[in-house]
Amino acid sequence: MNNPARVAVTAAGVISPLGFGLAETLEALRSARDCVTPVMRFSVTQCRCKTAGQVSDSRLLASHLQILRPGRLHRASHMMIQALQELMTQQPEFEPELTVVGTTSGGMSYGERYYRSLYGAGGLRHAPTWIANYPAQKPVIDAQTAFGISAPCQVIANACASGTNAIGHAFECVRSGRYRSVLAGGYDALAEMVFVGFDSLQASTPEKCRPFDRHRSGMVLGEGAAVFSLENLDLARARGAPVLAEIIGYGISTDNFHITQPEPSGIGARQAMERALESARIAAADVDYVNAHGTATVFNDATEGKAISALFNGVPVSSTKSMMGHSLGAAGAIEAAVCLLALQHQFLPANINFTAADEDVDLNIVANEARPAAVSMALSNSFGFGGANASLIMRKLEA
Amino acid sequence: MRLAIAGMGWVTPLGTGVDSVWERLLQGEEASATTICERFTDRVYSVFRVPESALKGISHPRLRRASAISRFAAAAGLQALESAGLKRESQNPERIALIFAISNGGVTYTKRFYQEIVGTGAQAASPLLFPETVFNAPASHLAAILGVTGATYTLVGDAAVGLTAITMAEELMANHALDYCLVVGTEEVDWLLCDAYRRWRLLRVAPPIEPFSKQNLGMILSEGAGAIVLAREGFATIERAHPGGYFRKRAETEKILKRILCDLGQMEIDFVISSANGTFVDQAESQTLQEVVPNALAYTGKPALGESVGAAGLWQIILAAQALHSKELPPVLHANQSIPLRLPLSRTPIPNARRAVVLSCGLNQQAAGLRMAIQ
Repeated sequence: MNNPARVAVTAAGVISPLGFGLAETLEALRSARDCVTPVMRFSVTQCRCKTAGQVSDSRLLASHLQILRPGRLHRASHMMIQALQELMTQQPEFEPELTVVGTTSGGMSYGERYYRSLYGAGGLRHAPTWIANYPAQKPVIDAQTAFGISAPCQVIANACASGTNAIGHAFECVRSGRYRSVLAGGYDALAEMVFVGFDSLQASTPEKCRPFDRHRSGMVLGEGAAVFSLENLDLARARGAPVLAEIIGYGISTDNFHITQPEPSGIGARQAMERALESARIAAADVDYVNAHGTATVFNDATEGKAISALFNGVPVSSTKSMMGHSLGAAGAIEAAVCLLALQHQFLPANINFTAADEDVDLNIVANEARPAAVSMALSNSFGFGGANASLIMRKLEA
Repeated sequence: MRLAIAGMGWVTPLGTGVDSVWERLLQGEEASATTICERFTDRVYSVFRVPESALKGISHPRLRRASAISRFAAAAGLQALESAGLKRESQNPERIALIFAISNGGVTYTKRFYQEIVGTGAQAASPLLFPETVFNAPASHLAAILGVTGATYTLVGDAAVGLTAITMAEELMANHALDYCLVVGTEEVDWLLCDAYRRWRLLRVAPPIEPFSKQNLGMILSEGAGAIVLAREGFATIERAHPGGYFRKRAETEKILKRILCDLGQMEIDFVISSANGTFVDQAESQTLQEVVPNALAYTGKPALGESVGAAGLWQIILAAQALHSKELPPVLHANQSIPLRLPLSRTPIPNARRAVVLSCGLNQQAAGLRMAIQ
């Protein structure tokens, strides 16, 4: 690609178990808060894992926006609406030409309600509402509708890599010059079927989520949404838009080892990171912080750890899933927001619940407490079922 | 950048293989409906299913426990590569991108998995089923079969998602590190989907699908897959993929379709492959076609093949490419002669046809289009 355009992040919005908005998220990250709580939304009595990172309904559903029939919308729609509201507050004139988002389950819990009502001969009076709000693309359409945005939507469902894939593809769309502005992000709300699914695989833990720890025993799930306005940097500057950060690299790879397990050598993860570095035209040594996928499963952390330690020499690494759980299709987007905050506020987010280093993984873990640091470039990893691997690199821009 | 179609694969309820299905469509054949039931209710629905015989010869360890949707996709994808003359082992696995278009995904396994949770409890949930419920499972299986190690994306959406996938393919192929992009649309039917669409008043209990009828009598769901290999050279050129957009309510459908067709119809259009399926889509498309391209022939394959949702866009593209290539259109089945459109009601030669539009309108608010040409 000759003279690729530079890509600015000009606004962002986030909602997660860490908080509503960038300011609350920053505060939670700085205090290394554990935001994982007992699941009350559905029964977990037969599950090994009984906790998740959860977004409070009382705040989520109390939006002051004028939305048509808000009671009918799925929680994922409300999350997207609130995240987009924060973004639009920063950039009221933002009119994306394209929207690219990631999700894994959309309005899944409405599908569950529909099935339970059918199976148990329960009331189906609300079935048309559940069905209408079940499709995976509905939350992003609802959010766009709430703000009068009419951009066509690409909804990527690459399992747990979806959010990073969405931002990465949006980045490439702006960088190639095909688009000037793209809305990108991800969303997912906690759903019983997915929760039980990971539990059935024994991927989730009855204990604390301890990424990269010698005693790690699995993940906990989370939920949330995050969105970003990606714009041609020169055009953004020309119109005086604030530039929060620059996205400089994206890497994607597919490893074909197993539908739920990464290739043990870490080749898939390594290829994604190498391709991101190549795309960014930087060396591994230029990266100051890696926000790891770090699910705390035995397999993921072993392979990701191998790949990071093979590529980077002692770079600080943390998995912020330890604080908020794994929000699947939203995870890459929320973790991009974490990287954005790390770049803006010059600190390293913590990998909490860390008790002892894994002898087989040679990593410089940011253990238990956030710490101040000079962070100019941050890399974020997301890896998913089906061998979907994605890495994104962001850079701090001086004013 | 213009992309070309270098190969195609097709798995439908009317058979498998592009030439075979096309010939049956030209003969005016339609798929046979079968009924589908569920153990906890007496309600049955009619669907168009892919015959099991259509998948014989498709075997790979990754497909052993895979759902129907994955097997359809694998069969169509392999056909497309073969028709493009591509050998799996001779391609650089980093230089092929894979894009999947899906709507409801592996709904059969999803239902079975959740059935176990509801019926017996979480402890009974099978760890073998859960991975197959994930939207990108079919793409993962095909990537493993082909050894693709580069970009693999699964897009979800309604019946317009296949065309969205073409737009994404254009975006990816702008990267010169790619030689080919294999785009696959795939879907499977299940009783649960039929019931959901029926509650939304979009489904007809039994065939036929009567396209462009003012009564909106409803659609019949079908299943299968369509695949195309996009390259920089091929027998048909995609002149423009229109990313489309979404409509907030059904009353706005016509407005967005007109915008898409006006953008694509700036050159002479010989025919339009419509997505008319017996629902509200039909009147919006009919009004749009009458107003924007009144002289173009309009064809819909859905009365013959059913509404395959996530696969539908790819099927429409295959129909357009075949019609341009073979210079004829199959008959539109079950259409009233009084419909104010130029419908080919019998097998119709189109010897001078050079350019076609595919217009795709989904039931969940999305619409897109593309324009295709042949030299």
